Amino acid sequence: MIAFLLSRLTSALLVVFGVSVLVFLLIHAVPGDPVEVMLGETSQPADREELRRALGLDQPLPVQMAEYYRRLLDFDLGTSLYSRRPVAEILAERFPATLELAVAGLAVALLLALPLGVLAAMRRGTAWDNGAMMFSMLGVSIPNFLMGPLLILVFSLWLGWLPVSGRDGWGSLVLPAITLGTALAAILSRMIRATLLEALGEDYILTARAKGLPWYRVILRHALRNALLPVMTLLGLQLGALLAGTVITEIVFSWPGIGQLTIESIHRRDYPVVQACILLIAVSYVLVNALTDLAYGWLDPRVRLGGREGGER
Amino acid sequence: MVTARGKRRGAGRPMSRMLGLLCLVAALLGCAADVPREDLRFGLAAMPVTLDPRHATDAASARIIRLLYQRLVEFDEHAMPVPGIADWETPEPTRYRFNLQSPRPRFSNGAELAAADVVASYESVLDERTGSAHRISLENVAAVRAVGDDVVEFLLHRPDPLFPGRLTIGIMPRQLLQAGQQFNRSPVGSGPFEFVAWPADGELRLRRRADGVDFAFLAVSDPTVRVLKVLRGEIDMIQNDLPPELVSWLREREEVRVSAGSGSNFAYLGFNLRDPLTGQPELRRAIAHAIDREALIRYVLGDTARPAGGILPPEHWAGLGDSGVPYDPDEARRLLASIGAQGARIVYKTSTDPVRLRLATAIQRQLAEIGIDVDLRSYDWGTFYGDIKAGNFQMYSLSWVGVKLPEIYRYAFHSTALPPLGANRGFFVDTVADRLIERAEAAISTPAQIEPLHSLQRRLLEALPYVPLWYEDHVFVARSDIRGYQIAADGNYDSLVMVRRVGAGDA
Repeated sequence: MIAFLLSRLTSALLVVFGVSVLVFLLIHAVPGDPVEVMLGETSQPADREELRRALGLDQPLPVQMAEYYRRLLDFDLGTSLYSRRPVAEILAERFPATLELAVAGLAVALLLALPLGVLAAMRRGTAWDNGAMMFSMLGVSIPNFLMGPLLILVFSLWLGWLPVSGRDGWGSLVLPAITLGTALAAILSRMIRATLLEALGEDYILTARAKGLPWYRVILRHALRNALLPVMTLLGLQLGALLAGTVITEIVFSWPGIGQLTIESIHRRDYPVVQACILLIAVSYVLVNALTDLAYGWLDPRVRLGGREGGER
Repeated sequence: MVTARGKRRGAGRPMSRMLGLLCLVAALLGCAADVPREDLRFGLAAMPVTLDPRHATDAASARIIRLLYQRLVEFDEHAMPVPGIADWETPEPTRYRFNLQSPRPRFSNGAELAAADVVASYESVLDERTGSAHRISLENVAAVRAVGDDVVEFLLHRPDPLFPGRLTIGIMPRQLLQAGQQFNRSPVGSGPFEFVAWPADGELRLRRRADGVDFAFLAVSDPTVRVLKVLRGEIDMIQNDLPPELVSWLREREEVRVSAGSGSNFAYLGFNLRDPLTGQPELRRAIAHAIDREALIRYVLGDTARPAGGILPPEHWAGLGDSGVPYDPDEARRLLASIGAQGARIVYKTSTDPVRLRLATAIQRQLAEIGIDVDLRSYDWGTFYGDIKAGNFQMYSLSWVGVKLPEIYRYAFHSTALPPLGANRGFFVDTVADRLIERAEAAISTPAQIEPLHSLQRRLLEALPYVPLWYEDHVFVARSDIRGYQIAADGNYDSLVMVRRVGAGDA
């Protein structure tokens, strides 16, 4: 177990380091001058040079990079070139919003996917199955930038039930969470259906039925528990993607999260903020996936993390 | 099997209950949203970057800062400097004496604004360590000093008839400046509004000092969502940054009122004069004649612009009032033929902004009519602007925003203002234009500047380093119960001082 954790930690650090190097080089390679953004286009060359020197942007790229990692080791993410506020402070404001939205989106996805997937598997080949799968196809097919405004139109403008956008109370979380969760629900429900169908054909299910267990116990206690194992892996990956990829939803709903901040900062060439956002996303991704691996081992006793048994089977 | 089916039907009931519960929650949330609000809400496409007048360079910051701070000098509708919180006299060409109005205004912390505060504010801007973007516009200031509590004197290195127009920095309290107050997030000024809170990146709260009404400025970057929020009453007012089709749609809605006012933001086509093709004046004139601006304004911009003849609009005290090069495709073809440039291929760069891109596509089509093949390329703002400043273009479109002083001509067209020293990005080198710019600068008064500035603008219309397109209107959309807002030519939010919500039956 300890060996497994150490190996995961090492690979996680390598991934995060690789991502940070790549982002650092890419964002500095993109045309556009942050000093221009800060001082405005009527600034004079002397002022621009002065500010460039003050920010260390006049240094060669390797020197800037070394300085960046030196500060990173002190947990100093730097100061935003644009707003001149500490980057850590900005992230601390934005990350809870993204986390809230990602968790809510995941909850919506599970709430939709579980009943749909189970229903489709249990009523395989019927209108229920077709209906559930058609819904999932719709969910995947409608992009978030269309789904978001459609939901706003119906639930905010026509019905007047929910706020259009912003982060102002629980009501404002509903539409972005549905937008985000629907596409994921579609993928999950198809996966649950497939794995459940496979599980329902196993001998232990026949045994359970033969023992006279009620159908819901057969499904919940036996079939679904095993069917959910591969779904767990997908969920882990998707939560990581939700933490990183809520950009469109955040923009449509003016949700003040990390995705929106990353895009804004790329446009402004705000190097420290872009680097910190990507770093945060990478760390979240790696962390969630490591936790998924751990959970996988806990849920399935046959899986021994890093042990010999797993290798010999 | 029968039992199982029966149980399944039974299992459906909790699902129905859950759906019912969800609807109830949604309905309750809806009720909560309908509670009448006390505050007034203004939607912005982007939040201000800073509330510190020394560092603000973006339009959103400048407009909010105007609400929080007062300035020595304002501009009238002709962009002539007029007294703000002080009137002035010029005992000598290099000495300006400003007398603060009586009674002197008070800062939002209760302290009375005094000459020492003005001195401290300007000394802070002039201090290199502050890193203010506005220092360069005040480089002619040799010294600034207080004479008692009511008088401030500025001593200049050399005469400058435009000098009062440069004194538009918001005045901050001296004590707080010395204490190192973070004005970017905790502003204290003497303006009609005071800072309340900046609880989130997308929300800024101010209070109107005269009557204590709270105002919330909310950032909603997507224009469609911004409009939907106005229609639902989550936002009371928005201004600009709306696609023309949304404006046209809003004009037919009962819930809102749409008004438009003439603006001074100048849109133009720029050329690289070092390029063998776009360096030819005949080709640039042919392009100017080929663009049907009236059609573009009507069909693409939804009648929210007016044709332009130069950077300064007609109402500006130095504006020429010319409407630019007329649409004449036959003349355009003749000019092209005269230089053998039929079928010429030009790379036209623009940003990815949807409206800019749509305009560029329409211009591409119009130029195709006279036989110019336009290769349209759109880039994200940073890349596009970087290319323009580096001179890496043949033709591009951009706008000048918020121009008040005629010194823009030196910055954009003088031969000493080639990049990186200035914004003469097309490498326009013209001795006649240089002389006229220098003559205007040497004039001892603004009336004496008018003649050389008019001659300069005529010269620019001949040489066409830019093809003037239009001045963009400001569009204001408000809920139908909002009254008192007046659109300013530069798009400032000053009239929020008078805005109020009227009840049913009020006029």
